[in-house]
Amino acid sequence: MIAEKLVQTYKVSFDQNNQELALAGSMRPQRAAEMADCVKLLETSLASIRGTFYVNVKRLVRLNNVAFHSLAGALLKAAEERPDIKITIITSSVIGWSTKKFGTLTAKNPKIVVEEYDSEFYPGQAFLEEGGFVPVLRTQTKLTWKHERAILPRHGLEPGMTMADICCGIGDFAVLVAKEFSPSRIVALDHSKSSLAYARQVASEFDIGGIEYIYGDAAEMLLEDGQFDFVSCRHALQIFNKPEMIVNELVRICKPGGRVYVTNEKISQCLGEPRGPSIEWTYEQLSKLFADFDMDLEFGPKSYQALQRAGLEDLRIESFMVTNRDGDAQAFADMIMAWEEMFAGGMSEKRGDDAAFVEKFRRGFEDHIAAALHPGGYAGWPVWVASGRKPR
Amino acid sequence: MDLGAGQTEAGEFTLLLEFDMDMAGFTSNWSYCDRLSTYFARMISHNRSDSLLYSNLFSSALNELLETVYRLHAPTGSFVCSVSRNGAKDRIALTIPVDTETEGFYRDAVVVLNGGDVSPRYHNALFSDGPLQPNIGLLELAVDYAACFSIEPADGNAIRLIAELTLEASAP
Repeated sequence: MIAEKLVQTYKVSFDQNNQELALAGSMRPQRAAEMADCVKLLETSLASIRGTFYVNVKRLVRLNNVAFHSLAGALLKAAEERPDIKITIITSSVIGWSTKKFGTLTAKNPKIVVEEYDSEFYPGQAFLEEGGFVPVLRTQTKLTWKHERAILPRHGLEPGMTMADICCGIGDFAVLVAKEFSPSRIVALDHSKSSLAYARQVASEFDIGGIEYIYGDAAEMLLEDGQFDFVSCRHALQIFNKPEMIVNELVRICKPGGRVYVTNEKISQCLGEPRGPSIEWTYEQLSKLFADFDMDLEFGPKSYQALQRAGLEDLRIESFMVTNRDGDAQAFADMIMAWEEMFAGGMSEKRGDDAAFVEKFRRGFEDHIAAALHPGGYAGWPVWVASGRKPR
Repeated sequence: MDLGAGQTEAGEFTLLLEFDMDMAGFTSNWSYCDRLSTYFARMISHNRSDSLLYSNLFSSALNELLETVYRLHAPTGSFVCSVSRNGAKDRIALTIPVDTETEGFYRDAVVVLNGGDVSPRYHNALFSDGPLQPNIGLLELAVDYAACFSIEPADGNAIRLIAELTLEASAP
């Protein structure tokens, strides 16, 4: 049977401050007359603006030709009658059809332009997503999984659940969960096409089926409300400048009674002996470096409050320390080595740090590596885990 | 209405999902086009490389076909919609009760769709004044989704309109 709840309508709103008309949802009317209110709002909005008028269709998932015909007519009329304005339509490649469909308007009138907003999703994070960082991400997951496989059940993950892993990166966590917990469905979403391509390749090479790798923006997902028993988001809130937007989305797609699970770092708490002070200094600087790029690598202990503010209940938080004593000191050292190149090399250089700073910055990473490989050394990387239940 | 899924072979295609419904029932509610296209899209997209993107595209394409059938059909008879798959290609087969006039519409439309580039026709239809042309959905599938159309007789006073789509290439 087709459930009544599948029926979806659309929302239209106008934000005067941004001169933006936002259309969202499903817009498939039978007759043009059903579009009258929407077209009227479009026309009154256009009459109230100067300069650029934005039409945001990033979350307009469905649109039939009846609706498009009405919208197109009103937009073309405005473009012709108002020489003083420009119309920018903001689409999303996640939708699939919208850039091409609205692009036909540009051919009719070049004053109407189409911008695909996610063509450069989160450019500030590009250096974290380039091919060279993939081995590091794999090593990180390998090291954290030793802990998380035991921690996940304490936060409510059980076999047979429906699960979403948001900001899945290269998808290796989803693969490990699929093997260990046999979820009935697992969706893994990320905004990096190169990471997803890698994830699909790995899943194919290892003949792991059943993981749905989806491209999308974690802050504005097109996944529907209340679908998943368990929603994870690992090491991601800390690298977005508006983590609350993502938390709200995690909660939205979680079923009532299901749990949202997040992990984050407090990078300044990385430690090692011998040469503790040098290591401590470098990781404090690393925290500041990320802050300069609008990323909060101190987010770990803040996870509790973030979930609390999102209205979750039965909150649980704990931390674990990935160390060189977990059984693979070389993997730990390899990870720090990659961090050194990525952060003291790429990011620090991008910030414009001088050679003396970079040298000292690098020394802390090298001391951390030395501590990891020292016969009597101890090196650690702490991670915070928090989860909460969505009220029924 | 019956909804069924199975492994029946349809040539090289494997049947994924099929529904049949009395035409009077289907045309009793416009929202059935949206609901059915969305339901079908979700059900058949899970094992595509990006299930959400594929579902969006498939739903858009199928909805245009269903809206066309909603507007153009004989008043009685059974309407059948099936989706079959052969690798990256999905085949939508619509068995539509027709009279002389509606059969002529579908046959003429397929001749046009297979007669070369229909982009100019589609773009003219998108921005025409007055009511929408009834074949706009079919034109859209041919232009934006590179659908290949064919038509064949079906039992009783019906035709089977077939659209084959390869949407995976559109995935990021």
